[in-house]
Amino acid sequence: MNFPSIKITVWDFPLRLFHWLLVLSVAFAIISGELGGNLMDWHERAGLLILGLLAFRLLWGFIGTANARFCSFFPTLNRLRAYLDGEWRGYGHNPLGALSVIALLVILVGVTVTGLFANDDIASHGPLFDLVTKHTSDWMSGWHDRFYTMLLALVILHLLAIAWYAIFKKQNLVLPMLTGKKRVEHDEAATPVMSSAWSVALRFILAGAISVAVVWSVANGGQPFVEQSAPPPAVVTPEW
Amino acid sequence: MKKFALAILCAAISTSAFAGKEEDQQIKVRQSAYTFMAWNVGKIKAQVIDRPEAYDKNQVIAAANAIAAVANSGLSVLFGPGTDQGTGWKKTRLKPEFFKQPDEVRKLATDFNREANELAKVAQGGNVGDIKAQFGKLGEACKACHDKFRVKED
Ligand code: HEC
Ligand code: HEM
Repeated sequence: MNFPSIKITVWDFPLRLFHWLLVLSVAFAIISGELGGNLMDWHERAGLLILGLLAFRLLWGFIGTANARFCSFFPTLNRLRAYLDGEWRGYGHNPLGALSVIALLVILVGVTVTGLFANDDIASHGPLFDLVTKHTSDWMSGWHDRFYTMLLALVILHLLAIAWYAIFKKQNLVLPMLTGKKRVEHDEAATPVMSSAWSVALRFILAGAISVAVVWSVANGGQPFVEQSAPPPAVVTPEW
Repeated sequence: MKKFALAILCAAISTSAFAGKEEDQQIKVRQSAYTFMAWNVGKIKAQVIDRPEAYDKNQVIAAANAIAAVANSGLSVLFGPGTDQGTGWKKTRLKPEFFKQPDEVRKLATDFNREANELAKVAQGGNVGDIKAQFGKLGEACKACHDKFRVKED
């Protein structure tokens, strides 16, 4: 069957904003984490931005537009089987790609959450360091590092997959992530239903506001859920 | 049977109380030295980076001098052969590679000492911006050695 080809929106604006901010902030977190020194303060700030982005993405996976929702692309066994049999039809993440998306998100949550409690035994620690013992923080630091290694592996896989699509399937996956648009063969059955712009904007604001609140709370050591210790007293030079 | 139990007892006593005593002591002292330096690093960070309004010149000088003094105290003798195994305050995290790459060790250790001495000098000057910049270099020198010769947390 031949359908006339049309352009549809596969990735909504919030999703694209999330994606590219995530790329920039993760790249920055990697560089600053590797270099250390005074850049560690910026590493922690980049980490908090990533935390906010992840919170947003998780919410958007439930209240975002069709292709952003986890239930629309969660790689169930049936979907994977259909895909491998060449019977999958859709415009969002294909089930195999979805597997890698979910893995990336899970590992990112791992590296971010452990970073909040981590310390480097030199001069830096995450904003929630005070909530755990030093021993637990050291353990978190070990996992921060291990999740980071896994993240690197997944990022490389992600890039290789994009290159593979570009070279062997002649499909440009990067452009749709920039413009949101993708040229497809018109097929009613697979066209995602778009909700009204107002509804999307409202949900965007809601998810954004919750994410900002999460970052604010964590950056302030868990306020208002955790009782904060009194601010450090003024510096006095000890007598001996 | 009695003889066997006695042998076990002797073995247990000798491994726990005598064998590796000198090694364990070296590990314990170097762990103390690094912990003490980190304490002083934390004080400088609190005053120069986290809350510059709380900057107290004399305390920062004291902390920087303490770090430099420890760095210059000849820590190398606390890294005797075999001290990649053993327990000081806790199990050592020194990598065995440390003993296979003496040139690299010397380079990292002397780099670190140079930054520590420079920080002590800059602290005397009292310019918070300069102290902050040099403090960053010191932190990088600590990290360089940890990345290379200290086992990651498990
Ligand atoms: C020449 C290499 C080297 C340099 C430079 C260095 N460290 Fe370390 N550090 C080590 C090694 C090796 C250990 C593990 C010691 C052990 O467990 O036996 C360690 C352990 C530590 C520990 C844990 C001590 C403990 O209780 O077990 C702290 C804290 C620490 N270093 C802080 C610092 C700080 C802060 C600096 C810079 C001001 C620094 N280190 C510079 C090699 C270095
Ligand atoms: C995707 C997010 C993140 C990435 C890719 C990342 C990456 C890194 C890297 C490469 C290091 C150096 C590890 C090493 O020296 O072996 C590091 C250390 C560290 N990070 Fe992150 N990080 C992230 C998020 C965070 C967050 C959210 C925080 C807290 C706000 C944080 C706090 C720390 C701390 C305190 C250390 C020092 C601990 C150590 O050296 O073991 N990180 N991170």
